[in-house]
Amino acid sequence: MIKKPVKQKTILVIEDERPLLEAINAKLEKNGFSVIGARSVEQAFGVELGKKGMGAITIQNIEQALKYLEDLEHVDAIWLDHHLLGNEDGLDFVKKFKANGGRWGKIPVFVVSNAASPKTIKSYAESGVNKYYVKSNHRLDEIVEDIKLSLR
Amino acid sequence: MNKKAIISAFEDIILSLKVLAKEKESVRRKLVTTAAKLAATAEKLAITAKEKESVRRKLVITAEEKEDVRRRLAITAEKLKKSYETLEQKVLERTKDLEMSRAKEKAILLSIGDGLLVTDEKRNIIIINKTAEKLLGVKSQEVVGKSFFEAVLLVDEKGVSIPSDKYPIKMNTTGIASTVAGTTYYCLRKDKTKFPMAITATPVLLGGKVIGTIIIFRDVTNERDVDKAKTEFVSLASHQLRTPLSAVNWYAEMLLAGDVGELNEKQKKYLDEVYRSNQRMVELVNALLDVSSLELGTFVIEPESTNVIELIQSVIDEQMPQINGKKILMSFLFEKDISLMRVDPKHLRMVVQNILSNAVKYTHDGGDIKIEVSSPEKKNILLKISDNGYGIPKNQQDKIFTKLFRADNVRGKDTDGTGLGLYIVKSIVENSGGKVWFESFRDKESKGTTFYVKFPLNSGMSIPIKNN
Repeated sequence: MIKKPVKQKTILVIEDERPLLEAINAKLEKNGFSVIGARSVEQAFGVELGKKGMGAITIQNIEQALKYLEDLEHVDAIWLDHHLLGNEDGLDFVKKFKANGGRWGKIPVFVVSNAASPKTIKSYAESGVNKYYVKSNHRLDEIVEDIKLSLR
Repeated sequence: MNKKAIISAFEDIILSLKVLAKEKESVRRKLVTTAAKLAATAEKLAITAKEKESVRRKLVITAEEKEDVRRRLAITAEKLKKSYETLEQKVLERTKDLEMSRAKEKAILLSIGDGLLVTDEKRNIIIINKTAEKLLGVKSQEVVGKSFFEAVLLVDEKGVSIPSDKYPIKMNTTGIASTVAGTTYYCLRKDKTKFPMAITATPVLLGGKVIGTIIIFRDVTNERDVDKAKTEFVSLASHQLRTPLSAVNWYAEMLLAGDVGELNEKQKKYLDEVYRSNQRMVELVNALLDVSSLELGTFVIEPESTNVIELIQSVIDEQMPQINGKKILMSFLFEKDISLMRVDPKHLRMVVQNILSNAVKYTHDGGDIKIEVSSPEKKNILLKISDNGYGIPKNQQDKIFTKLFRADNVRGKDTDGTGLGLYIVKSIVENSGGKVWFESFRDKESKGTTFYVKFPLNSGMSIPIKNN
């Protein structure tokens, strides 16, 4: 059986719960995505290019972090949790991410979080993310399907 | 002597005698006249004497009377003196009483546990109590006589001064009797520290005229902290409870999907039980969190311009798997000119979600569910959600909005309700100033339940949207 070669899409997954991160990785890879995982905002900005799983690079400052993300030209979508390791949460990530002169403005962001307070959901909606999912209320394949649709 | 001479002498004498006689007569007459005059004078004198006597007598009487008056006056004066003394005593006593009661009233005013300021009609402070002194960090003599705006500096959360025309007191000196309460104010103390303030300003009316304002305020830092703690609890609980549920959900989902290899029938069946139980748990946690956010008083109505039709459609879409699973015929009817409406979308969503999921749960396979939306007088949203399902037993119809109540006829069935849905619906609708009611029949000819929800629009505004 010969598979048609397709360019693999890369998803940056930022999720602090290890079992959930592993489940997301497995499901996305099963669906043909390449996955870069991070458990904190620092890591998200500091992941090494092309390295799968959890990048564990500590970075010194925001500029350096942004520099890393700048090099990640092949990120097609971002899967983001709200509560993350460290002091910064998903909203902080979105702010920094969107603030970079609109360079990443077109990369879709999917927030998948159990922090379901109306205030949090509203803040995300206002920050320009594509969709907000309450984690426990959605199946993985539902979310993956939505991401696929948005990348078509 | 000759006779003739004698005669002549005689004649002379006679004549003289006659003259004399006449003179005498004249004198006599004069005497008589004088006597008469004297008599008259005497009479007059007599009269005068009488008058004098009368006057004297009168004088005597007057003197007596005077004496009488003097005596009476003396008595009166004595009485007056006495009564004056009593009066003075009484006045003293009364003054003392009054002072006592005034002092009491003032003490009561000054000892009120909340901050109290009283201003005159020009909004100058005339009274400040101890709590207010403490809260504002000032002494009474520093602020009495000063303008309220000078003494109490209000700022917003970020510390930006609130202009005096936005002060709550303003509206009350316009002559309109109204009470203004606000909780969005912070008070800036002299030492630049601030505290959240709940303030109520009420006009003081005398004979229909505003003569001043009473301002009661207190520090609501504790209430704020408690509110914050409650909100944080709900948010933390929701996150902590949902995270393990998500893990069970997703791993079961992947196993059932055969992501890591095919399962045999028994494994599939068992895992399906795990998955479905977990789904119930998710539902229960969601409902409990909704209930706790309602009951902890963190219920806030945040109306925004909402496309009601799209919102309801998205709720239907969410429940499509269950609707299709039971082969239920779903119809959605709405008035063409239903506009963008100012409602709290998350509340409307919760209401529709709960009623619709009940309709789906409690309707037989192949049944009908119909949602109708109208907007009577553009003041309300009227939702009508009807099914031809099991219906609610008559004798339990008054209990269905009670927390954790589930009707007998559905408890026996294989349905997984939480007993919280309608309680949530009722709480939301009534907290929003709306109304929810239902009709339910279990007869042979008509069976099923229809729920009506009248959801108020939070402002009279409605903006028409384009019909695609």
